[in-house]
Amino acid sequence: MFGLTDEQELIRSSVREFSEAEVAPLAAEIDRDHRPPLETIPKLAELGLLGILIPEQYGGTEMDSVSYCVVIEELSRCCATTGVMVEAHSSLCTWPIVHFGTEEHKQRYLPDLASGVKMGAFGLTEPGAGSDAGALATTARRDGDEFVLNGQKVFITGGGYSEVFIVFARSTEAPGTKGISAFIVDRDTPGFTIGEGERKLGIRGSSTPPLMFSDVRIPATNLLGREGQGFEIAMATLDGGRTGIAAQAVGIAQGAFEAAIDYAQQRVQFGKPLAALQAIQWMIADMATSIDAGRLLVYQAADLEDRGIPHGIAAAQAKLFCGEMASAVAGKAIQIHGGNGYTEAYPVERAYRDAKITEIYEGTSEIQRLVIGRSFLR
Amino acid sequence: MRIVVAYQWACDPQEALVSSDGKIDFSRAKPTISDYDAVAIEMGCHLAEATGAELIGISAGGEAVATAIATKAALARGLHEVFVVSDPGLDSAGTLATAVTLKAAIDNLGDVGLLLTGDSSLDSGSKTLVAVLAGLLGWPCVTDVMKVTMDGDSLTIERTIPEGIQGLHLHGPVLVGVTSDAVKAKVPGMKDVLSAGKKPARVVSLLDLGVRLPGEGEILSVEKMAGPSRQQIRINTEDPAQAAAELVSALRAAGALDA
Repeated sequence: MFGLTDEQELIRSSVREFSEAEVAPLAAEIDRDHRPPLETIPKLAELGLLGILIPEQYGGTEMDSVSYCVVIEELSRCCATTGVMVEAHSSLCTWPIVHFGTEEHKQRYLPDLASGVKMGAFGLTEPGAGSDAGALATTARRDGDEFVLNGQKVFITGGGYSEVFIVFARSTEAPGTKGISAFIVDRDTPGFTIGEGERKLGIRGSSTPPLMFSDVRIPATNLLGREGQGFEIAMATLDGGRTGIAAQAVGIAQGAFEAAIDYAQQRVQFGKPLAALQAIQWMIADMATSIDAGRLLVYQAADLEDRGIPHGIAAAQAKLFCGEMASAVAGKAIQIHGGNGYTEAYPVERAYRDAKITEIYEGTSEIQRLVIGRSFLR
Repeated sequence: MRIVVAYQWACDPQEALVSSDGKIDFSRAKPTISDYDAVAIEMGCHLAEATGAELIGISAGGEAVATAIATKAALARGLHEVFVVSDPGLDSAGTLATAVTLKAAIDNLGDVGLLLTGDSSLDSGSKTLVAVLAGLLGWPCVTDVMKVTMDGDSLTIERTIPEGIQGLHLHGPVLVGVTSDAVKAKVPGMKDVLSAGKKPARVVSLLDLGVRLPGEGEILSVEKMAGPSRQQIRINTEDPAQAAAELVSALRAAGALDA
């Protein structure tokens, strides 16, 4: 039988206590105002949540992947925006630096990323390259000891406040994905501008602006990994990212589920609480079962990663199932709330909007099906 | 000199379910360090940091209190080590049995200058342990404490009393009952959690300490006290003034207000 370790249970307990005290009170407000909860960043850092995937020697907490998923789940249970702030910073920026960066990269960037002095983001998606990431058009031309970047990225989570960006660009004439390289770009580099954040259906507090590169000169030493290794780095990074987003989906579903239970026990109709009605009990049963199934898929993918076993398919299965599960659970939570659930007065409305993105970003459900299906048909 | 914090490991009442008929179900509530004692631990951490004293947690209970998760949960809050008395006989221990056991733990540790604990218990809400334990130890006991400063065995204490805040000066050893809002208990950080398992946790039995539990009587039954029956007063108006008038009228009719 699968079970969390004592440390993982205590991590859940700590992050839950923190989330309920510091994250939940802001969740509705930042959603309404479309603003990132920047005041939470130092508190996340103090608790050690911004260096989860960073080795201790660089100031991180170096936790295992299952613990990381527990953290993202608990933050997202109270606020999906805060969950993805930590997820994108950790999975998409700190992880590739830890695994593909040079010692100089690690010493220069990781301590500030672990302490929250700087936040990190990941620039892969472009206007013409979403699911087809290999079609990206941003270029990186070698010029002596520098690379010169030109192009545009869109929907960059954390872009509005991040200082360190992992940027993917085409640096060689090699066709398709082989010509793509990864670079570390500092926010204050001349020619690098960040646009206005998008106004979105859900995770409204998450900053997702476009990035513009106009003759942006970066030292050649900011190349992450080898030249031409960029697509491999992006895909490896997204394997971990997908598990994190699946954990976010579980957290969103769990929050909506608990809200539905509270409501069903308090709301009286036909002279008894809704919870006494079999129709409601069946919905609660289905919600609980699917959340537990999703959670186990997340932990399985994370556990494989912790044991150094290829986990790309497991991550894709977790993301596919949990994304769709979160939308379904949040929908049922609204149904249990009836008309009240359709209003901003109850958190399930926000959960329903927040859940949808987990079917889309860091690989749509369709891409996950493609990855999973192909793995069985090779 | 040692600073000791007595803490309770019990089911979290915030996770208990209260059904519509008023029954409280603890079956899905996870055990935790009492919120009251977490405040005492935090105060102990501040004092230990300021004085360089050793900070030891003690607890008494059934098997659950000696589990790795229970001792790690306490150590993650900043204690340097824990000393736990675990025995099936302590599963449903009352105040006297708990106090006798904790006294034995204190005697075993020795060199204790200050004993802190929360001023209430998580499960029963009893506020009697501090006084009973101090009586057994023969130590002065100060309750409702908001602030403690230490200089060797000299303690300056502030506590709330009905007239305001009382300042006290006394010499240790002293038993201090800390109010729940004396300091804000810090949420254990990730490094605190990950390092907790590396700190010492000693588990002993009643037999190891040579403790014989006192008889505390036998609980025959627990019956819910019936409150006043609901009057089923319903006010159906959106107008606040009209609602207030209807409420006053209904309360007068029920005899709750003078006519």
